[in-house]
Amino acid sequence: MIIRRVTLLGHKDHGKSTLIGNLSILTGSVTEARINDAKKTSEKLGLKFEPGFILDSFYEEREEGMTIDTTRAQVKYGEDAFEFIDVPGHEELTKNMISGASYADAALLMVSTKEDEGIKTQTKRHLFIAKMLGIERVVVAINKMDLAQYKKEKFNEIKDELSEYLTNIGFNEKNIAFVPISAYTGEGLTKNSANMPWYKDGSLIEMLVKFSGKKKAPSDELVVLLQGELGSDKKILTGKVLSGSLYVSSKVKILPSNEELSIKQIVVRGKNVKKAVKDENIALSIESEVSGKIRGSVLLDKDSNKKISREIQTTIFFLRNMNGRVSILINGSRINCKSIQINKVIDIKTGKEVRGSNIKPLGAAKALIKLENKIFMERFDSVPELGRFAIYDNDKFSGIGIVEVVK
Amino acid sequence: MIIQDIKELEEKSIYIIREATNNFKNVAALWSMGKDSTSMLMLARKAFLGKVPFPVIHIDNGIDFPETYKFRDELAKKWNLDLIVAKSEIKPEMSGFACCGANKTVALKKLMKERGFDALIVSIRRDEHGIRAKERYVSPRTKEFKWNYKNQPAEVWGNYLSELGKGGHVRVHPLLDWNEIDIWNYTKREKIPMNPLYFSRNGHRYRSLGCTHCTVPIKSNAKSIDDIIKELEITQVEERAGREQDKEKSYVMEKLRALGYM
Repeated sequence: MIIRRVTLLGHKDHGKSTLIGNLSILTGSVTEARINDAKKTSEKLGLKFEPGFILDSFYEEREEGMTIDTTRAQVKYGEDAFEFIDVPGHEELTKNMISGASYADAALLMVSTKEDEGIKTQTKRHLFIAKMLGIERVVVAINKMDLAQYKKEKFNEIKDELSEYLTNIGFNEKNIAFVPISAYTGEGLTKNSANMPWYKDGSLIEMLVKFSGKKKAPSDELVVLLQGELGSDKKILTGKVLSGSLYVSSKVKILPSNEELSIKQIVVRGKNVKKAVKDENIALSIESEVSGKIRGSVLLDKDSNKKISREIQTTIFFLRNMNGRVSILINGSRINCKSIQINKVIDIKTGKEVRGSNIKPLGAAKALIKLENKIFMERFDSVPELGRFAIYDNDKFSGIGIVEVVK
Repeated sequence: MIIQDIKELEEKSIYIIREATNNFKNVAALWSMGKDSTSMLMLARKAFLGKVPFPVIHIDNGIDFPETYKFRDELAKKWNLDLIVAKSEIKPEMSGFACCGANKTVALKKLMKERGFDALIVSIRRDEHGIRAKERYVSPRTKEFKWNYKNQPAEVWGNYLSELGKGGHVRVHPLLDWNEIDIWNYTKREKIPMNPLYFSRNGHRYRSLGCTHCTVPIKSNAKSIDDIIKELEITQVEERAGREQDKEKSYVMEKLRALGYM
């Protein structure tokens, strides 16, 4: 069964965990034992039944009514299966939100209609980060409709404001849907609510089926990322095909060292094969040893004109101010940065680029990054795995970035 | 229970196991002789051309089932495993939290110190327990084995780098994405040898295997892997329902894990 990976997004207390808890129950995707456990905890804390406790399992999460770290819940719906990635909504926990959301291929945003809740900066920040992470489709669940007397006007008000923001930050209108729900009462989740006859589109889960699923590979040119040697044998390399296909007969070269290789044998999942395709992990037996460092190198077609570089034009998102040695982490390799030059600041509230050279914590910018060493990178929209990175300040995770131009 | 694409799961696990051996100097794996860690060894064999390249550790409190010891010795020989048995001493009155939390963890700490392992492959899965669902693929532990679950490191896009605190180690979790039913489908497809206790005798079988003091069998007539898969498709019982240490009181798993339990 193919699993559709959907990350939850949204401000804290807008009902993310409650929604997934209730969806798990309504679709019969969770055992009675786990529902009973959540019931018991709710009683113990003197609360009405809180479906969110099916996911929030840490003592602190339940006591404080707040998700601390990301988790996943699988939900079965007919022939479709979802893996919902629940993430914390709290600003201080954006690091954990990024960790969870980076594994998704679609997003479900929760916005509460409640007077003091609504669209917050953190709501927009989550959307902005999701776009950076490569998520192209969003279903917006406008939640707590029961508290807004199921009014169409309230739904439209939020819908209009968010539509504009989503297109500002680059989402295609065709890839956005809005659904009115109540995560707590369960209305609108698996079937439309009689209380909202004005809403004609599908229920939340029906819309999610339409707006999720795997994306097509953007490129078919061969790129294999090498992980290292297999044990002490320097003539057996391991790696992963990131794009295109590798054949035993392929004429390939390795970058940065720029040496040609002859392949003797390819092993995939323990078996000899003639061809390895995208996303397969390979062990590669080669004719003669390679001189340079293997880890972090890439295999390309012999005639490929792709190059290594030390300058990239990027969009970056910062969690915190940095004052130590800055480096980027890309596919398990750390590379020190010489400089990060901010060209434009992105205003998270409007999604627009503005002039400036300083970004505040939890802010974003367009930046030119110069690296200490030349490495092989790709545009994020071409080979995502080689066009995205984590930013470290000394050893502290401090942000993420995507490559727009390799200079 | 959702059945996932085994090929996709296998690829991810192989990648993570290889990343562990590339990122860390001295890797070992825990092997309880259960279905998960045995499947992990199969994946490691696939990742490394037929041979598990790291030592496998059995933390032995001396009260595992006789079938488990027999299974261990046979498979260790067949797969040519570098088996380390870390003995922990057990007192007759010990069970649950005291046994798993203190006793087993102490034996593991001692071994880790002696051998200087910096990464430990542990075959936990998200669907086993709500607390395990919160884990990272690569998860640091302090020198004291503590899991700082309130401030886990970022793990973005499968960039599995983890900062090693001084004297600490990392736990590597290559099976995090697998469901219980996927493990059985894989066992069937790959013909992985399995502990006989998983299969029904006299109307009972062990669904999750621990030691003789704390594990109780469930009612089941599943005598074959196919029967088990059918049973799992409709079960309303949690996998670890037969594991005493999970339910002494609430959050015991969280406490155990924060102290270094698997």
